[in-house]
Amino acid sequence: MITEEIGALSDTVEEAAPVEACTKCTACNTVCPVARSTEIFRGPKFLGPESERYRSQPEAAVTAGLDLCSGCKLCEVTCPSQVTIQEYIRRAQNKGAQEKGRTLRDWVLGHTRLLSRFGSMTAPLANFGNRNPAVRWLMERVLGIHRERPLPRYQWLTFERWFKRHPHPANARRTVAYFYGCWVNYNERRLGEQVVAILERNGIDVIVPKQQCCGIPAVVNANMDLARTYGVENVRRLSGLPADVDIIASSTSCGLMLKHDYSHLLDIPGAEQVGARVYDICEYLWMLHEAGELNRDFQPVKTRLLYHAPCHLKSHGIGYPAMRLLRLIPGVELEEVDEGCCGISGTFGVKVEKYDLSMKIGSRLFAAVKAAGSDAVLADCETCRMQVEHGTGSHSAHPIDILARAYGHG
Amino acid sequence: MKADIAVVGSGLAALIATRTLQQAGRSPLLIWPGLTSLYFTYATVDVLGYADPTTAEPVEQPEAAIGQLIADHPDHPYALAGLDALRDGTALLIDWLRAAGFTWQGSLARNLLLPTAIGTPKPSCLVPASMAAGDLRRDEPIVFCGFAGYQDFVPELAASNLSRWWGRGDQAVRAIRVPLPGFDGTRLFTSIDLARSFEDDGFRREVAGRIRQQIPADGVRIGVPAVLGLTHDMDVHSGFMAEVGHPVFEIPTLPPSVLGLRLFDRLRKHIQESGVEIIWAAPAHAAEVSGGRCDRIFLKSAGREQPIDARAYVLALEDTVDGALRAGVHTVSDPFFHRSLASHAVPTERTDESLFNPQPFASIGYPVTDRLQPRDDEGGPLAGNVFVAGGAIAGYDPVGSKSRGGLAIATGYRAAKEAMAA
Repeated sequence: MITEEIGALSDTVEEAAPVEACTKCTACNTVCPVARSTEIFRGPKFLGPESERYRSQPEAAVTAGLDLCSGCKLCEVTCPSQVTIQEYIRRAQNKGAQEKGRTLRDWVLGHTRLLSRFGSMTAPLANFGNRNPAVRWLMERVLGIHRERPLPRYQWLTFERWFKRHPHPANARRTVAYFYGCWVNYNERRLGEQVVAILERNGIDVIVPKQQCCGIPAVVNANMDLARTYGVENVRRLSGLPADVDIIASSTSCGLMLKHDYSHLLDIPGAEQVGARVYDICEYLWMLHEAGELNRDFQPVKTRLLYHAPCHLKSHGIGYPAMRLLRLIPGVELEEVDEGCCGISGTFGVKVEKYDLSMKIGSRLFAAVKAAGSDAVLADCETCRMQVEHGTGSHSAHPIDILARAYGHG
Repeated sequence: MKADIAVVGSGLAALIATRTLQQAGRSPLLIWPGLTSLYFTYATVDVLGYADPTTAEPVEQPEAAIGQLIADHPDHPYALAGLDALRDGTALLIDWLRAAGFTWQGSLARNLLLPTAIGTPKPSCLVPASMAAGDLRRDEPIVFCGFAGYQDFVPELAASNLSRWWGRGDQAVRAIRVPLPGFDGTRLFTSIDLARSFEDDGFRREVAGRIRQQIPADGVRIGVPAVLGLTHDMDVHSGFMAEVGHPVFEIPTLPPSVLGLRLFDRLRKHIQESGVEIIWAAPAHAAEVSGGRCDRIFLKSAGREQPIDARAYVLALEDTVDGALRAGVHTVSDPFFHRSLASHAVPTERTDESLFNPQPFASIGYPVTDRLQPRDDEGGPLAGNVFVAGGAIAGYDPVGSKSRGGLAIATGYRAAKEAMAA
């Protein structure tokens, strides 16, 4: 039973849960992967709604412990009263950074797009440096990037530039816009190529509007102003698309920013209308399937796969469309490995003081993946894939990779 | 999204309905509004603890007492669901618990009488094996063991309350406290933190040793708060018992419920691994009805409302914890059909000032037909393919009568059977 605030004195129930809706049930603390792994973290209940009652605009922010929140949002997924626990933590952390400043490292990690652009432009050198122990030692000392954390490999040819030369198909039934995100653009162009090929296989023309970083690295590195700047730019560009053009994202967290966080956490005007048009790639393909429009001309793919559901996918509230889709492919053996958060949480597990914690959070997943054995571990989120590969030595891929193979685009 | 049968909810009723559908070869979709009541409640399966709320006489034989209840009150949810649904649903749960790796004890024939954390007796029907040694119908003396700094279990309180009514003499109940390694009093901790610590062999052995030192005599049993492990609880319990050298039983404490977490997490995982899809974090909040049937319900997913088109729906909601009912100042309404389920001139009419009296709000819910469909004012179904299960059914107080678990089983099972036929 959700009880409205008595002050309103009407029978219309508030849809957004205020901080008073928290009943202190502690459900969030029990599922929090960080609280499970370190006793120094006081948990989402305390840092979110409980502390929120004592926070006010004129007072200085109390930030102790806030940086240990990895931003996985499982607390919000779990809350039976729909309290926006994460948003309280992020706002307080952001206010603290505004008052006290932030580290160079957090500034850099918040500017993922800038960093990736630089990495891509200098690809051979950047990749060499990222794998060179001396450089990594220096990066750890100067920047606070843990030396054992594998960093993504940059590619010189970006997805943007690849797509410019990509010919559009004739006779498309409809058009979608692809929000490819920084990862596809600078690190895994192949995934973007597969997304385009699969959509085209289904008679859909893909357009790629000019876009900015979705802003999630900035949000989790306490730079909400930067995230809002990015978000405003993206909303402006995506709002300009024709009304019948849906927006597709292949990164779980970029998609969640566009769908939900722009309008809620960042309060960007017009974001709600854009968010309502955004679909995760697998969510979209499953909709095609239900409408009888999915091309099911699949070649068998004989493979044994595990699926790890990213925490942010749970926040989408769409179930696991990737599992449904892949089960349509003959030969695919697919099992879910349900061991919760992988621990990396974007840039969280990259940081020198968080690396060990990040690996400890993921240890249950790593053990289960190793015990089950598979040809690949699938995850929709790129940093989950990095973490699974690092923690288990197994190959990890986006579910789209298997679908592309079934279409002969492997 | 399309589905065969959509089950909305996350408590025991939702789990039983989902399992029933799965066992019958159907493809249920489980929709989670947030965490389950199992995280807050006792997590024993209470079928009927008190038949008559005006007396404090606990029910000894739940199956027989429910037979009588059905005969006396043909409108009671147990009567609507039927005794067979309770029997078959209970058998299904017991099989499922075994398949998911649990050892539970008890049967519908006879209730156990177990001590609560404050030393009062509580009738329960099915309980984890780690609780069973606490049965108060047995005579062995009890030592309540608390842990220094842990505030949710006060062994002296439990001992003084129990010795007052138990009638086994002055020496039959004692209280001890032991300090815990690593919990030095400066740190705030919950039962969950303790349960995780008990999974560590060194920690467990150290605590067992400290308890053994304080209890030299044989022939006693030791009651500890339910913190003996979260995921490997049965190993923790048997190891701990061997190390302490006496029978040990667990006593549930305040939320978050360690027993509930164990039960829910393992059953959820088991059902998910066997192929049932769960949609997390999506409160369901509206139903579209036409021609006497529900065409779809809507979930609040990120970015937009997501329609779920199923052949039938089981609303296995829990009333007080998962937003199944929305309480305004004067009315309580439901989020699906937007009907008023109760109205009050002032909000205080739905509560009793004494916390431990039966609370009027506890029995607010959907009036249902004899097939568990939500009922309109004329007594007919609001939608022919929607069935209600669990705490959101009107007309009973799951807390006062200690029947939450049994009704979740009976109505969850029956609603699933009806949904298959709809």
